Amino acid sequence: MQTLGCAINKLVKRPINVTFFFLVLCLGFILASGQRPCQAETLAESSCVECHSDIADETKGSIHSQQAISCHHCHGGDPTKEDQDLAMSPEAGYIGVPDKRQIAERCGACHADVETMNFYGIRTDQLARYKTSHHGKKLLLEGDTRVAVCSDCHGYHTVLPVGDPASPVYPLNLPKTCNKCHGNEKLMAGYNLPSDIFKTYESSVHGKALFEKKDLSVANCASCHGSHGAVPPGVKDVATTCGKCHVNERKYFLESVHAKAHAEGKFSECISCHGNHGVQKPTPVLYEEACVKCHEPGSQAAGEGLKIHEALRKANEEFEEAEGLVRQASIEGIFVEDESALLEVAKSDLVSMAPLQHTLSTEKISGLETNISSKVGEINASIQNKRENLKRRKLMLIPIWIFVFIMSAALLGKYHELRHKKKKGNG
Amino acid sequence: MIKKMIKQWFHDRFDVEGLKKPLEKQLTKPLPQHISWFHTLGSMSLFLFVSQVLTGMLLLFYYRPTVDEAFESVKYIMTVANKGWLYRQIHAWGANLMIAIVFLHMLRTFVTGSFKRPRELTWVVGVLLFIMTCIFGFTGYLLPWNQLAYWATTVGTEVAGAVPFIGEFTKTMLRGGSSVGGETLSRFFVCHVILLPWALFFLILFHLFLVRYQGMSTMEAVGEEKEDKDPKEAVPFFPDHVLKEGVVWFFMMGLLVTLSVLSPFDLGEKADPLSTPHAIKPEWYFLPLYHVLKYFPKLVGIFVVSLAPAFLILWPFFDRSKERHPLKRPISITIGILVILSLLFFGILGYVSESKQTIFGKVYEFDIYGIPHQVLNHPSS
Repeated sequence: MQTLGCAINKLVKRPINVTFFFLVLCLGFILASGQRPCQAETLAESSCVECHSDIADETKGSIHSQQAISCHHCHGGDPTKEDQDLAMSPEAGYIGVPDKRQIAERCGACHADVETMNFYGIRTDQLARYKTSHHGKKLLLEGDTRVAVCSDCHGYHTVLPVGDPASPVYPLNLPKTCNKCHGNEKLMAGYNLPSDIFKTYESSVHGKALFEKKDLSVANCASCHGSHGAVPPGVKDVATTCGKCHVNERKYFLESVHAKAHAEGKFSECISCHGNHGVQKPTPVLYEEACVKCHEPGSQAAGEGLKIHEALRKANEEFEEAEGLVRQASIEGIFVEDESALLEVAKSDLVSMAPLQHTLSTEKISGLETNISSKVGEINASIQNKRENLKRRKLMLIPIWIFVFIMSAALLGKYHELRHKKKKGNG
Repeated sequence: MIKKMIKQWFHDRFDVEGLKKPLEKQLTKPLPQHISWFHTLGSMSLFLFVSQVLTGMLLLFYYRPTVDEAFESVKYIMTVANKGWLYRQIHAWGANLMIAIVFLHMLRTFVTGSFKRPRELTWVVGVLLFIMTCIFGFTGYLLPWNQLAYWATTVGTEVAGAVPFIGEFTKTMLRGGSSVGGETLSRFFVCHVILLPWALFFLILFHLFLVRYQGMSTMEAVGEEKEDKDPKEAVPFFPDHVLKEGVVWFFMMGLLVTLSVLSPFDLGEKADPLSTPHAIKPEWYFLPLYHVLKYFPKLVGIFVVSLAPAFLILWPFFDRSKERHPLKRPISITIGILVILSLLFFGILGYVSESKQTIFGKVYEFDIYGIPHQVLNHPSS
């Protein structure tokens, strides 16, 4: 007992030893509890490295290498065997370079296993989703090996976490990764798919936000099509897809006359007017272009569209004018706090108009436009009043200086009169 | 009838005739022949002091000296209070003009040699009045609690903190804590509206008493002053000279209102202790000294800068020549000119330092010492 006490005392006096002791203890617990992910041998212990040191170097930065997932977890074999033939024998489960089907299975062996992945807090439905995707169906049911499998998007030896900016599936890189296949004209021709989607997307409002503003929250390929379960959204699903982000637009659309047509499958909710991959920042001009695709020009429906267009254009113009006026007044040194507050109210109405127009209700849109118009009117009047006030102040300087000159002249006159009298008196 | 009654009422209680005599003597005391418009600078300073007191009182109706309300209350004065914009601007312009006019008044006294025996004490009190006017400016500058004021005060009090032995104590006393905050605002407010006005008021009274008691200086050498032989020909202080001063007062009033309307002071942004603006500078009247500080190590700089007021106060005891006429005092006038030029030079350097200026179509970036560096890749170069 005394000896144990001495040992503890010695350990406490040497903090490095204590740390090491606890590390060993923790490792012991982990090993004893059998929580090792995929029962990994570390890369250093693997006999594969003896010949494939280049690949071993390649894997060093990967998430798998960091988690002690070694060669044999994907390629099979027994890395503990020194003998090459034994290590790479079919008996040891060696499969060499896995084919696409095997890749899906091998990745799924861990990633679809709840018990294994629970340790990392990663979802486990990727394989299940993949099986429902066009990629998965083509590969697993039809044996088409040209389609994408896990490694085509995530890489193989250098798999990085999705949140790593260098990962090919990081939101900023994802469209380019998809484009590796979907930009291949020859490959896409086989599936009767266009190969210019990346270019179209790049110039879209989403693409610009992603590539130019580096806005990672913006829609990329996976946001609409899904990632592991990638399928093109059907006519009815488009609204749900867009509505994931554009919640209010979808809500108001369901109040519109187009909702019925959509329910009957005659109208593709968002893309009928906005398009899909090449969606541009919508402007009121869209009413002139999109309505007439289905409605006769001059018809009542097209007329309603033009009315909304006019209300939107007017609201935008009035707001911009008021904004410029407030900015200019501020530069002139006028206090514009009240006007800025009014401008904010008008702005929130203007912002609300964007989703509200999906109701296609001229009454509602005009209501907001009237509100904006009234606020803009108040701003104009207030700034005009302040400017008039400043002008009046400047004009007031004229009588003030007239008064100053009269008084000065009177005082000087009196001074000279006194001096004159004095001189005369002396004379 | 009523006038008579009031007169009688006073006569019954006070020795009115006894009081009247010395007063009349002072009022009608003849002024020296060389008295010019430059001699109205003193009364101009007095006019500005009165204007500052009056507009200051109007500001006090609305101003609230707390960190949360100071800025908003000044904004209220400028935007809502009836004619608030006018008296706030007159107060701000008055402060700046007062410093300039008091300085010019001092300069006139220097040039005409009026500070010489027996008026050394009048000069010393005058210099103290000038220094107090500057302190008035410094304390008042913080009160709107805007960014420029906050950071200028931070820098100003930091400079005070660098004085050996008493620096840390002075800084903490000025700030009321380790940094500029609510306590500083309270202290500056009390100084600005109670301590300084009364101190200045009594100093002005003493200064005026000395001026009237000793009479205005003539241009003759010390000890050779002549009384005006014929008092009938001389200009009496009242009403003759006062009429001239009245002209100047009206002119000052017009100037104050004009500047307030045509070139109003901005309130700027509310003080934010977490965001330091680029190139913090004090008000123009502190710029030359502030800029000189940059060239010296902290302690040496403070020593050099503190020599200025010391020399100013003690000047009558250094310049002991009997001559008053500027042309007969070449050395002291040369020193005076050099001081004015250096004030202008360092003031301009301080103004342009840490800024970008376009000169003859070329863009220059002035570093912290005011040295220009041409910006070669500027689009307008």
